[in-house]
Amino acid sequence: MTTKEEIIKKSPYKPKLVEVIDYHRETNDTFTIKLGWKLKHEPGQFVFCSLPGIGEAPISICSHSDNYVELNIREVGNMTRFLSKIKKGDKLLVRGPYGRAYPMDKFKSHNMIIIGGGSGVAPLKGSVEYISNNRGDFGEVSLFFGFRTPEDVLFRKRLDVWKDEFSMYINFDRVEGKTIYGGKQGFVTERVKEVVGDNKDAIVFICGPPIMIEKVAEILIDKGFDEKQIYISAERLMYCGIGKCGRCMIHGKYTCLDGAVFRYDELKDYKDD
Amino acid sequence: MVKGHIEMFKKSLLFQMIMVQFTIDKGDFEGFLRKVIEKYDLIGPVEGDKSKLRRKSLFRKIVSPDELFLEKKTYFPVKGYFFDPKETLFEFDGDKIIDPKIELKKKVFFGLRRCDLNGIMHQDMVFLDENEDPFYKARRDASFLIGLHCNEGDDYCFCNSVELKDFFDLMFYDKGKEYAVEVGTKKGEEFIKKFSGVFKKKDKIITEEDRKIRNKKKLDTLDIKDNYDDDSWKKGSDLCVGCGACTLLCPNCHCFTIEDEVNFDLKTGKRVRKPASCQLRHFTRVAGDHVFRNEKLARFKHRIYHQIQYFKDRHEEVFCTGCGRCIEGCPARIDWVKIINEMK
Ligand SMILES: Cc1cc2nc3c(=O)[nH]c(=O)nc-3n(C[C@H](O)[C@H](O)[C@H](O)COP(=O)(O)OP(=O)(O)OC[C@H]3O[C@@H](n4cnc5c(N)ncnc54)[C@H](O)[C@@H]3O)c2cc1C
Ligand code: SF4
Ligand code: SF4
Ligand code: FES
Repeated sequence: MTTKEEIIKKSPYKPKLVEVIDYHRETNDTFTIKLGWKLKHEPGQFVFCSLPGIGEAPISICSHSDNYVELNIREVGNMTRFLSKIKKGDKLLVRGPYGRAYPMDKFKSHNMIIIGGGSGVAPLKGSVEYISNNRGDFGEVSLFFGFRTPEDVLFRKRLDVWKDEFSMYINFDRVEGKTIYGGKQGFVTERVKEVVGDNKDAIVFICGPPIMIEKVAEILIDKGFDEKQIYISAERLMYCGIGKCGRCMIHGKYTCLDGAVFRYDELKDYKDD
Repeated sequence: MVKGHIEMFKKSLLFQMIMVQFTIDKGDFEGFLRKVIEKYDLIGPVEGDKSKLRRKSLFRKIVSPDELFLEKKTYFPVKGYFFDPKETLFEFDGDKIIDPKIELKKKVFFGLRRCDLNGIMHQDMVFLDENEDPFYKARRDASFLIGLHCNEGDDYCFCNSVELKDFFDLMFYDKGKEYAVEVGTKKGEEFIKKFSGVFKKKDKIITEEDRKIRNKKKLDTLDIKDNYDDDSWKKGSDLCVGCGACTLLCPNCHCFTIEDEVNFDLKTGKRVRKPASCQLRHFTRVAGDHVFRNEKLARFKHRIYHQIQYFKDRHEEVFCTGCGRCIEGCPARIDWVKIINEMK
């Protein structure tokens, strides 16, 4: 029989130390850290970052590699502000991965439409990297990203590559002065309405503010898309990540176990719950 | 996996042992308890401290058998013994993580009602799934569960309406001069052997009549799928004062918050988990002060739907054990069973 000491040693709440191998300031309130963490994971999953004494925060993995994990973090509160002070070479406590991933295998040979708003672009970056690494498995790929202003653009180095690799549409809420990446002024929702045809076989990923997700989904359904073609991400308060603390529940579903990626029809009636 | 848990339980000894039953003479009962107290911590129902403010019945360590209060179920649930009100998940010193030590003596629980036992079974389903919770597991491993069958319910409970399951190591039935005892697990069988002097084997002594519980209260339906938008939920939420007594008293409710406690050196401390109530506004609050279930109505429905529908959708068991504690303990006297019964 296993003793209680042995059981507690393997506690799922216990984080482990990994090294920060790179730190990059993206915008004035977001930064990206690269962790020397060889973690097997799938697009759409997330991890918990821990600062003892401050707390924990669930953060989506925004890369796709066997050798490292990248996280893009927005400073919105206590934990995330403290985290922003971390430097290359520091150690960080982490646990994961958690969450149900996008079922990428099911999307083989499909066209892909990836739609992100603001910091919602970060979780999608992992799936785009996956698609890029397995380019032959997918059809046409279109990216729609919306940011507040050109200063708020995330992952410029990636976008420089993706603009040639995929069809990329960038939108800004406001443009004062020169635009970049051919970005137009106006919401990403309008761009989707304008550009996307009645693409019966495409799979759509949407991530961003709830209101944006809802608008985009409505537009696509008006265009004849089926709810089952659309995948959205939900964000809820999370403490455990393993279906225990009950905080992330949406109408009976655990965002941490059944999400954070959901197929649109699984959640649509209870988005506000 | 969770399903497996139920299947395993259904294949458990209970179903093989149902014919092998025992009796214990009430004259021997006290002596038996004294022997238990010598060897283990005995946890049982007591009437509550008359001298103090807390007069409601609860489970507590029993020093002498005459402390036991066996007339009816306790006001407070037993869950705190398994789900510690303040569990240390680990201690830290800077970035160094230190495993917590938990002191555990083997505990024998006596006098658990069917609602208490089903509450434990439901918590097992949550905490002992494929992402096993080590703290809950350690506490459960150190426990032995003896039930006491209710012949009659009180003014609040309605357990006949919620499909309770047999879940216990041993179950006692009050038969007047003696208790009849049913064995539920291998652990229960071994326990009986240790006290072979007092337990006498007697086949099929527990009748169908003995297994019945007479309830005063009834929940008319467990199907509330189509009632989510019903206006009458407001009859409950309008009265709610948001105290969280209902979730605290519920044998099932297990939601929690994790937080860090730092010492004055700002370097050492511990990460703890504490119970949280879905009936409080901050339960779903995220950064930027967005609250998902911002209305009392949404929070009230969340509680009832979790109890009646969500858990069943996931685990094939009705969560609510029909104990009525949330109704008895509600300062606003919200009777959600009545609200459902009056719905179309
Ligand atoms: C599945 C998932 C993926 C996420 N991915 C990212 C990401 O890639 N990048 C990013 O910047 N942010 C992400 N978030 C949001 C991020 O977790 C919160 O911004 C962060 O927890 C805020 O913590 P804080 O201490 O800075 O804020 P405070 O407001 O000070 O937080 C107080 C408490 O609430 C919790 N909390 C607050 N907001 C959230 C929230 N939205 N979700 C969960 N817990 C919250 C905190 O952990 C803390 O316990 C994600 C959230 C979820 C649920
Ligand atoms: S006990 Fe009653 S008043 Fe208190 S939170 Fe529960 S329903 Fe509301
Ligand atoms: S919801 Fe109420 S009646 Fe049901 S188990 Fe919890 S406390 Fe008992
Ligand atoms: S985060 Fe704890 S249950 Fe989902």
